[in-house]
Amino acid sequence: MAFILVVDDEFLLAMMLADILEDEGYKVETAPNGQVALDRIKEEQPTLIITDFMMPIMTGLELAEAVRSDESISDMPIILVSGARGGIARERPEYFQAVFDKPYKNEALLAAVERLVSPTRPS
Amino acid sequence: MQEISRVTSGIPGLDQILAGGFIKGAAYIIQGQPGAGKTILSNQVAFEHAASGGRVLYVTLLSESHERLFQAMDTLAFFDREKLGNEIAYVSVFQTLRDDGLEAVVKLLRKETKRHKASLLVFDGLLNARDRAGSDFDVKTFIAEVQGQAAFVGCTVLFLASSSVTENSPEHTMVDGVIELSDTLTGVRSLREIQVRKSRGSRAIGGLHKFEITASGIQVFPRIEALVDHAVANAPALEGRVSTGITNLDALIGDGVPAGSVTLVAGPTGSGKTTLGLHFLSQSSREEPGLHFGFFETPQRLRAKARALGIALPEEGNPSLTLEWTPLADNILDQLGYALLDEVRSRRIKRLFIDGLGGFERAAAHRSRLVEFFAGLMDQLRLLGVTILASWEIREMVGADVAAPAKEISAILDNMILLRQIEEDHRLIRSISIQKMRDSDFDRTAYAMDFAKGGLKIGEPLNARHTPAHPQTPTG
Repeated sequence: MAFILVVDDEFLLAMMLADILEDEGYKVETAPNGQVALDRIKEEQPTLIITDFMMPIMTGLELAEAVRSDESISDMPIILVSGARGGIARERPEYFQAVFDKPYKNEALLAAVERLVSPTRPS
Repeated sequence: MQEISRVTSGIPGLDQILAGGFIKGAAYIIQGQPGAGKTILSNQVAFEHAASGGRVLYVTLLSESHERLFQAMDTLAFFDREKLGNEIAYVSVFQTLRDDGLEAVVKLLRKETKRHKASLLVFDGLLNARDRAGSDFDVKTFIAEVQGQAAFVGCTVLFLASSSVTENSPEHTMVDGVIELSDTLTGVRSLREIQVRKSRGSRAIGGLHKFEITASGIQVFPRIEALVDHAVANAPALEGRVSTGITNLDALIGDGVPAGSVTLVAGPTGSGKTTLGLHFLSQSSREEPGLHFGFFETPQRLRAKARALGIALPEEGNPSLTLEWTPLADNILDQLGYALLDEVRSRRIKRLFIDGLGGFERAAAHRSRLVEFFAGLMDQLRLLGVTILASWEIREMVGADVAAPAKEISAILDNMILLRQIEEDHRLIRSISIQKMRDSDFDRTAYAMDFAKGGLKIGEPLNARHTPAHPQTPTG
């Protein structure tokens, strides 16, 4: 089963997204900031990370930098969902496989998730 | 004595009532019911702070999502998405509070303040933090620690609280200032007011001040009478007279009204108050620019009236005369006062006709302050060297009784001209009499007055006519 790590300091948003993904059959965990996420990734590698941008301690951009610079996890797909900084993320395609501006359509996000966790399946 | 270092709020009028802005490194509570304007105020302060080179950490607990907040702020001029995640970071610490408690939140805030090099910290959710606290002592400790570590790095803190923090609340004793916003219903009008309830180390202007929220954000209007201007006491008295524009009226009062004086023109509707004002403004020139600040007649109607009466006003577009019309809508008293002062200052107005003071009276939510308001406004106007005519409508159509408010107000006015309508042989006769003229002798006779080609004409003394006038007139 694909394991998705949802990283967002806004607790309610993280929980809602986790519920939607669980309904689709994914195993989901949440983390309130990039640092907690990074610690968890080192324990168990997720299939996909979905992260917010602005968070305490470590932002989504800093998390992506940390993942890409660690060879053991550098090819892990990351989706950024951001209220404000989608533009910055789009300038860094090497960091993010997809960027969604909040508010986004759940179907569009789920389609991207499905594409990224099942890379062999034709989309 | 060491000067206190301050941080501008960036909100027009707020720094004035805070005696110069927030104290750098101090902590304030911004409180008010939901919808009172706390979020707009704190975001406006945040964006103005960032625009002037500061950095902001905006921390939330259980509030609306940041995206919802951004969508709401997007309609306001100060909001700038480019600053999000750069100069201003919005972070939620809800999970830290829930899972690890207040102590962990304090640590997180210290780290985040340092990480973002924040010079302003906004903490939205003080009451949620209080709910998580075990005791009043915990609340005090939380505030003291957040404030202490922020002050250590020169960071100013705004705590937002969605209900009233009273003087007995533990939070109140710990912070340097408490600012309360309210939105109450007066009649059918919504009235937004702001009050500095506590201001340690600063002489804030106490009491209630009106504010409004527009697409530009919040603007505060400090009560005009509370702005004591020491320049008023030292302002030199102007010499000379200023023509009313009616030659034989000037003759009755010593060649015009005293320069820099305030003249009340009182009378019932239709008695000629506006016409007298138009005569006064017809004398406007490049050296003595005029302003009509009115509530009733539009500029077009005023010009039509002047044309019909044969009063020659400077042409439309001529900077010698400005006709300013403010409809009697939901006006804010002090906002009207500031608008008038701004016009007079920016156009260097020397002849001002206010038509009439009733427009200000109707905007007053608290009528008991009207006399002080007018006194403060007139002081500021006198300081600008402007000679003022102001109309005041008397309710009684016929007769001489002047309504009580005019009596109160007349104490702060220099001169008073009374226009009346009296019944004589079953027809109405207009009359004019001088009630008061500052430091001058004046003709105390009541004269007949009428509209003729060229405007108002002063006729013979009423006592020379067959039927005597009603003799009783009030004194100012």
